[in-house]
Amino acid sequence: MSEVDLAVSTEGLTKRFGSFSAVESFDFTVERGTVVALLGPNGAGKTTIVRMLATLSEPTSGRAVVCGHDVVAEADAVRSVISLTGQFAALEANLTARENLVLMARLRGYGHPAAACVAATLVERYDIGEFQDKLVKRLSGGQRRRVDLAAGLVTQPELLVLDEPTTGLDPRSRQVVWAAVRELVAKGVTLLLTTQYLEEADALADKIVFMDRGRNAATGTPAELRAQIGDHRVDVVASDAAGFEELVVALSSSFKLTLAPERRTISVPAPREALDLSTVTGQVVATGVAVDEVGLRRPTLDDAFFAFTGSPAQLGAGQVEVDEEMELSA
Amino acid sequence: MTAVAVAGPLPALPARANRARRYLRETALLVGRSLQSIPRVPERLSDVTIQPVMFTLLFLYVFGSAIHIPGMRYQDYLLPGLVGQGLAFGVIGAGVATSTDFASGVVDRFRSLPVTRLSVITAQVLGQMLEQVLGMLIVVAIGLGLGWHPHLTAAKLFELVGLILLGLLAFTWFGVLLGMLVRSSDAMQGLGFAIMLPLSFLAGTFVPIAGMREVPRAIGEWDPLSSLVAAVRQVCQGTPSSGSWQLDHPVPAMVCWCLVMIGVCAPLALRRFRKMNTV
Repeated sequence: MSEVDLAVSTEGLTKRFGSFSAVESFDFTVERGTVVALLGPNGAGKTTIVRMLATLSEPTSGRAVVCGHDVVAEADAVRSVISLTGQFAALEANLTARENLVLMARLRGYGHPAAACVAATLVERYDIGEFQDKLVKRLSGGQRRRVDLAAGLVTQPELLVLDEPTTGLDPRSRQVVWAAVRELVAKGVTLLLTTQYLEEADALADKIVFMDRGRNAATGTPAELRAQIGDHRVDVVASDAAGFEELVVALSSSFKLTLAPERRTISVPAPREALDLSTVTGQVVATGVAVDEVGLRRPTLDDAFFAFTGSPAQLGAGQVEVDEEMELSA
Repeated sequence: MTAVAVAGPLPALPARANRARRYLRETALLVGRSLQSIPRVPERLSDVTIQPVMFTLLFLYVFGSAIHIPGMRYQDYLLPGLVGQGLAFGVIGAGVATSTDFASGVVDRFRSLPVTRLSVITAQVLGQMLEQVLGMLIVVAIGLGLGWHPHLTAAKLFELVGLILLGLLAFTWFGVLLGMLVRSSDAMQGLGFAIMLPLSFLAGTFVPIAGMREVPRAIGEWDPLSSLVAAVRQVCQGTPSSGSWQLDHPVPAMVCWCLVMIGVCAPLALRRFRKMNTV
């Protein structure tokens, strides 16, 4: 596929902060008109990648091309085709929602009456009307995110990048965001989104790129990845450590177990769902060990992590802080 | 969900103007954004309003009774000093506003737009300067109300305004640079005071440098703020100062200091702004 058909392509894209490698030899592509999700835990390097694509951060090495423009050599051209909505709303806190939209529209090149018209259209489209005249600093997190998304859409971008668009959103705001996104996708906008939620990537993306510690750990359609991760799982939570050990011995003969000793949890693949639940429950009851919980659930990011990296997710909230601090001080 | 279905087309984007015109237009828009937000954060103005008023009153009515300047009334000595101090304290306001902006992500938003990068930083400097001018006007008004008599001809007034604007420009660039390097506004506030407060006290703002002990006098004689204060005082009151070359020639000394500060800080700030690219 030639670069013309690609909204994004990267080759050996690498970003280091001192000795810490946030993104390492990362190759991926986003075909025009598709939705691609970068999926990974906190600290996997998702934000670092989208910042490089949005020209906010220069790669240490490797190259990235957005809609045919190199992010370093043709940064200005990239800026006019891309729109980034970040994890943290990037708005002027002391202007109202509408004033922010007008300012963004004018900075994009609209004259004054046209900018007011653009702002009015966006206010209506993203359900901002009831708080359009409130200062941004007085808005709730969800309201801000909606204004932020609208501010990124004062012109229709060729590539829309949403960095964790629904993290921390209330259900109403989440619906508005998703409805807006689906509408844009229907119009042919290419979308790259980052998320920590497997479910979200599964529901929206044509292609999922799974990230682990700055690397591309797996790429595929949701169906392909699901086949590798496995479908549902049964979790058994033992009441105490001794019981946990006993259950591990009892269940390991018939199942491939994933263990989380600190939570006394044993996880069993359950491709046959309720049938597997009843088999596991039967075996647990037969051991006579006391359990807090036995339940069937959908696979999570942890399961994906285990499936693709062979080890449990190690990067927690602490890693993100390090990552961001390095970004700030580098 | 009601509003989502309503989706009229956006108006067409006008063709892009040339680079110089875009730069001017974007700078104006971004300065407008700074000015628009001033009345919404009255506390941000406290640095340039309440503080100088407090200094004026404290020194005039508390310390002033014990300070005798030969040959002139204390308000005529103090007010030019406070104007100089106001200039210098602009560093803190500019630094805090800049670090707040950079930490909030709004600057990243501007940087991700097809907007000339120079306009973002020029607007930062101009916006801060205008805020400081507002503070300066308040100090002057209070001073005049409390009996300050500057001896100004039209030519002197012109010179004074020119010096003040040059000083503001230099110190604002310094503040913007500091604000970009210090990424927390609290740290910036602390650092700003730690640098500017001692320097402003040593600069002959409140008491003459000549009467100080050896060490503070030596610092005061070469403190860049001393030339600022002495220059304003010379233009307003015709009061000469002496002690070092810069005090004997305060106006050229101040102009030199300001040009050096702009020459060093502006390129560093611009470089830092582009460099943030690599963050």
